[in-house]
Formats: sequence, C-alpha cells, structure tokens
Amino acid sequence: MAKKKIYDIPWVEKYRPKSIKDMAIPTAKLNRHKVSLVEELPKFINNFFNQKEMINKKNQEIRTFNRNCLEKEKKKKIELPQEKAAILLEGQPGIGKTSIVYALANDLNMEVIETNASDTRTRDALESKLKETAKSKGIMDFISETKKKIILIDEVDGIYGTKDRGAVPTIIDLSKNTQFPIILCANEYKLNLQSLYNSIPRYEVNPLSKDEVYKIINRILKKENVENIIQEDLELIINKNEGDLRGILNDLQALSQISNESPDERKKIIMSLHRDTTKEIFSIVRDLFQSVNTLNEARTLTNKSDVDYNFLYKWINENLPTFIQNKEDLSTAFEYLSIADEIFGRIKKNMQWSLLPYFYDLFAGGVALTRKGNISKGYRTVNFPRYSTSSSFSLNTAEKSLIEKIQEKYPISQSEIFRDFLPFLKIITESSRRNLKNLSDWLDLNAKEKNLLKKTQTSKK
Amino acid sequence: MIEDNPIWRLKYLPKSLSDIYGRKPLISQLKEFIKSKNFPHLLFIGSEGIGKTTIARIFSKEFLGNYFNVNFKLVYADVPLTQEERTKAKSEAYVSTSKIGSMAGKRITTPAFIQVKIKPFVQLKVLGDIPFKILIVKNFETLGSNQQGFRRLMEIYGSNCRMILLTTKISGIIDPIISRCQLFLIPQLKYNKFENLIIKISEQESLELDKEVIKSIYRISEGKISKAIDLLQISSLMGNKIDTNVLFESSKKFKIEEMNKIVLTSFKGDFKKTRELFRNVLSNYKYNANQFYQKILEVIIKLPLSRYEKCKLINIIGDADFRALDGRDSDIQISSLISKFNTFGEMM
Repeated sequence: MAKKKIYDIPWVEKYRPKSIKDMAIPTAKLNRHKVSLVEELPKFINNFFNQKEMINKKNQEIRTFNRNCLEKEKKKKIELPQEKAAILLEGQPGIGKTSIVYALANDLNMEVIETNASDTRTRDALESKLKETAKSKGIMDFISETKKKIILIDEVDGIYGTKDRGAVPTIIDLSKNTQFPIILCANEYKLNLQSLYNSIPRYEVNPLSKDEVYKIINRILKKENVENIIQEDLELIINKNEGDLRGILNDLQALSQISNESPDERKKIIMSLHRDTTKEIFSIVRDLFQSVNTLNEARTLTNKSDVDYNFLYKWINENLPTFIQNKEDLSTAFEYLSIADEIFGRIKKNMQWSLLPYFYDLFAGGVALTRKGNISKGYRTVNFPRYSTSSSFSLNTAEKSLIEKIQEKYPISQSEIFRDFLPFLKIITESSRRNLKNLSDWLDLNAKEKNLLKKTQTSKK
Repeated sequence: MIEDNPIWRLKYLPKSLSDIYGRKPLISQLKEFIKSKNFPHLLFIGSEGIGKTTIARIFSKEFLGNYFNVNFKLVYADVPLTQEERTKAKSEAYVSTSKIGSMAGKRITTPAFIQVKIKPFVQLKVLGDIPFKILIVKNFETLGSNQQGFRRLMEIYGSNCRMILLTTKISGIIDPIISRCQLFLIPQLKYNKFENLIIKISEQESLELDKEVIKSIYRISEGKISKAIDLLQISSLMGNKIDTNVLFESSKKFKIEEMNKIVLTSFKGDFKKTRELFRNVLSNYKYNANQFYQKILEVIIKLPLSRYEKCKLINIIGDADFRALDGRDSDIQISSLISKFNTFGEMM
C-alpha cells in the first residue's frame, strides 16, 4: 500500500447533503409500486403532525369530559394508527437512507434523535432515550416554538439477542403514543422483526443508478480539484461498490491522495481499498472466513470497519463453528481466540493498550486463517452472539422473589440455592403434584414462582 | 411448625447447641464462651456441607439471646455485589466538600464489598445488654484481595463486633487473618455417630432401612449430613422401605447428569450441540467459569480412561481455567475447552 497522506475531513461528511433538493434521491418501492421518496417522506411527516395535532385536541376534550363524568361513560383516548406514526426504509448500506432523513430534517427545520446499533437497545435503554422525547414535549415548548423532532432508529436489523431484549415491542409500543414521527432504517429483511413489518409501511430503497452516481462524483471531484483520477479507475470503483455511495466516496478520497503510480499499481490499490469501506458486521464476518487470504487483508478488514472490536470478537466466537467444520482447525481457531480473549482481559485489567495489536491479529486473522483445508464456500447464515457472560448471574424477578422466600425459611446463599437446594426441590416436586402443592404452600409461592419450580423441571428432561 | 415443614433438611436442623450431634469437644468449648460472655474472633475450617454455618448460627443465637436479630449478620463472600450496591459504594466513598475536616472532598478507597456489606454493620454500636455483635462471613477464602481490608477492621472494631469466619480451604486465607483468629477444625462426622443420627431420623419418619443402606448413604453423601438427609427424603418418595436399589436410583437423580452429557457429546465431536448444552447448564445452575471447570474435572476423573489420557485432559482443563482468570468472556474459554475435547475424542 502506498503511503497515506493526512486525511482532511472525510468527503462523506463534507458533502453530506444539506437539503433534499441537492441530493440524489434513490428510487423506492412500496408494496411493489414505485414511489418517490421526495414526495412520500415530507407527506408522511406533515400528515403526522397535522393528524397528531387533531388527535391531541380531541384527546384533551375527552380528558376534560372524562373528568366530570361517571366511570361508565368514560371515553377512550384516540390513538394515531401505527402506519401513520412510523415507516421503515430498507436497503443496502451506503445508499442514503440516513442521509435523506437528515437532509429532510434540515429542510423542515427539525431535529433528529438517533439511535443505532452501537447503542445497546434493551427495553430500558430505548425507553429512557426515546420514550420521554416521544411522549412529551420539552418545557421550552410551552414558552416558545421549538424545533420539532424526528426519531430515527437506525440499523433496526441489528436488534437481536439478549442484549437488545424487548426492543421490538418497545418500538411498537412507542409508535402507538409517540408525539413525533418515527423512521426506522434496516439493511436486510429479518424474521424476528416480523411484528414490525406487519404494522408499519415498508419502503424498499433501491441503490442509486450509475448515471446519478457519476453526476455526484463529478461534481465533488470538480470542487476538490482532483484531476488525477482517470475514467477507467472511476468505473472500477463504482462497479466494485455496487451503488454504495459512501463506499465510493471513501475510495475516491483515498485514491485522490495517491499520485503518479502506474495503472496496474492503481488497480491493485483500488481493489485493496474495496475492503476499507465501512461494512456491516455480517459481511465482515462472512468475508473474514470466506474471502480473506492473508493476514494483512484480515487486518485491513478489521481495522477499517466501524464495528467495535469489543463486539466483533464475540461475533467470531458465535460463528466459528458455522464456518470451520474441521475439528482440528476449529480447536486451533478457538485456541487463538481464547488467547486473544485473555490478552484483551489483561489489556482491560491493567490498561496495557500496547498489547492491542496482538489481540487484533489473533482474533481476526489468526482465527480466520487457521484452516488448513479448503475455504468453506457457499452462503452461510451468520448468527448474532446469543450468550452474554455478564448476565450469567442476573436473575429475573420471579427467581429473585423465589430466592427471597427460600432464604426466609432457610438462610443459605444464592449460589447454594441454585446449585444445591433448587435441584433437590425439583426432584421432590417431580415425584407428585401433592408435593409441589405442599412445597408452594409452605414457601407461599405465587403462580409465577411455582412455575419456576415446574418449568425448569421440564427443561431438565 | 415442625410438622408442616416439608423439607427434612430443615425439619431436622438443630435448634440449640445441645441438639448438635457428635461434636462434643467443639460444643463444650462454645458453651464455655457463652458462660464467660466473651470469645475471640473465630475461624471455622471444614469441608462443604458439614454444618459450619449451622453451628455458627446457633452459637450466635444462644450467645446473643434476645438481641439476636439486631446484632447478628451473615454475609456471603461469594455473592457478587449488585449494580445498586456498587453505585452505593461509589457514592459513599466520596466525602462531600461541605463536610468539615481533613477528609473533605477526598475519596476513601475501601473495597466496595467491605464498604457496603461489612462496614455499616460493624460500625454500628451494640444494641442491648450484650458485650458485642457477631458477624459471620461465609466462604471467606473467596474474598481474595478483599481479605486485606479485614485485617484492620478486625482490630479497630474488634471490641464492638466479633467475627466468625467460615472457610473450606485454610490455604486461601492470608496469614494475618489466621493469626487474629482462634481456629476450629470441624472434621467429618465419624461413622458411628452418623449411623446413630440416621437411625434416629428414620425412626421418626418411620422408615425401614438396614445397616448396609446406612453405609451406602455415608459413602454417597461423603459424610455430609444435609446431603444424607436429602437423599433419605428422596428415597422415601418411593416407599417407606429403603434398600440399596432404591438408594442407588435416588442418588442417580442427584448427580448433575448434564455434566456427563456435556463431556460425552464433546468427545463425540458434536461441537454445536455441546455448546448448547453447556450454555443451558450455565444459566440453570448459575455456575461461573471456574465452578464449571471443577465440575468437568470431577466427571473426567470418574471416566474409564487411562492415566495418561486423564492427565492430558486435566492439563487442558487447567489451562482453560487459568486463561479464564484473565479472560473477559468465559463463553469463549469454555468453547475453546470443548473444541479441544472434540479433537481429543477423535484421537481416542
């Protein structure tokens, strides 16, 4: 790789469209009919605020009415139908889903409140961040006209697993009583988001056409006074990125800073740049196992991705057995991964960040390149990491109250209850219903806690 | 109350020092303490499930008499602090600038465990007509570096509160603590005492069993009374007459079969299934990585393998456990162990 000069502001940020007018709008489909996002989105937002205002007024009338009437005659509050409160934009990365929302907000003089996959999105986290803004208006709203807001939930398909438990119901919940329009963005169609798809309109956003990409790029190149990029290179970059405008811009910016190389060299550089684009985690994991051939490639792949390594190595842990089937290879891969984990632990414990390079190379390159046999080809589903160690000792409310009740009668520690006493109780309850009843009477259990004694019993079998 | 207690282990829990069976020298010493209304810090050493906590509790109860509830606290050293407790410790560690004195605006660096769980109790004055309060710390050896914090506590607040520390491994306790305590070794119950106890219980529950059965109970429960009583109760579910067959059947239920299954499937080379299994076990029994490895070790030792192979496996487990000490993600470490077992199974 050629030496890199100091980057100035990334072009992606520099030329992020300020207004929807000077933006190349990707085409979109709603229920297989072509629609124009330029018309649909403002319409959606305006409609939302108009209807919400009406509904708020009506609700206020209902509230005043309810205050002075009998319990029976009370009216229910009116809610905005969900499909008018939220929409989903779906399409591959880098085609301008997020940008269009920001540009639109800029045009309409609104604020954007964003959460994305880098935030943990458990029920609590989402609620604390969004619900308050979604439901209420700020104090300033009473005094003066403040900016209206758009809620942008980016990378919805990243919601999964125990880490983001309860996020989907929260979003649905949110869309029922929000004060601001919600726009969701996603890359892939996901089964676990089915309940979301059912209730809100889904716009499929297509990649930009080549002509439009050319237009944008030429404009930017002119502004930047870049002349050393020949047509051939441009075409190569555009084809490679498959409509991912963000990727194209990143590549071009890098290329513009390299001068005077032979055409072949430039081609090589372009191909290596390909991996520098920010990619989503799925393709990173897939690439790491299926297309990376050298340690250097693995490095560039992990270094340039915007995925937190803290997070990435857990993904690798989860997906190792899907990609590496040979037992020998699997065990060496896990050997490296476990050493990487150990190193990472020491880094965190003693703040020895100088060890970080070893961690990187071991968990990504070392793991992916251990295979001696052939690369496992073909499409494989990448799984989300399902298991988080930190939660191994966290208890749900039923477990907690069960433990408290046991401890009242018999003072032993939590761990003893789980390892020693609870299995014993389960054996007793297993034998007959009467025993279960006796036991739950004795401990004064409610139905949920009683279920706990039973449920684990069935899972044991 | 006794009649409707459905768990025998609790039903036959001794209620007073004189009820405690077969520990004469210890009990008479403790009774002396009560008579003289004074005792030093105590350190009870004995293997798991042998009755250390029960003895310590009953002793404190009799020592404190009516003032037991307010002046007694039992702390589990191995229960991790909750998030609330941690934030509480953090906020308490900071002395407000509005306070007067040299400490104002400074941070006190006491370990969170001691700050939250020990100090509030130890610092409080004695309530009632007794010489001092009693604090029991269970599984003291798991405290690790927090033990250092106890050294000063035991001296400064010694006159206000006496401590009874319970441990299974004396080697896990630092010397300064040992030198501040009077040691009590609590051995396994002798067989004839154990036999008498079991006979007493079986008479009360009208069970029929012969000496051969009691011998097997002793062997299976490794002399631990609570475990033996559990075993009796489970066997009694199948009828009042207990022979060795019934005993064997019920003891099988006791073992965690899942552990065996994990080891065997991993030897067969089915990685994905093993991973599912061990994740289940971890969440069901709330093991941490170290405890999980211990359980695996127990299974390995009982397997019919050659000495050479066993040593190799133990080496693998030890290595994995060692790494898990520093590692951040125990799932990775355990997966690594399992993948090694997979290749090991192929070699056999």
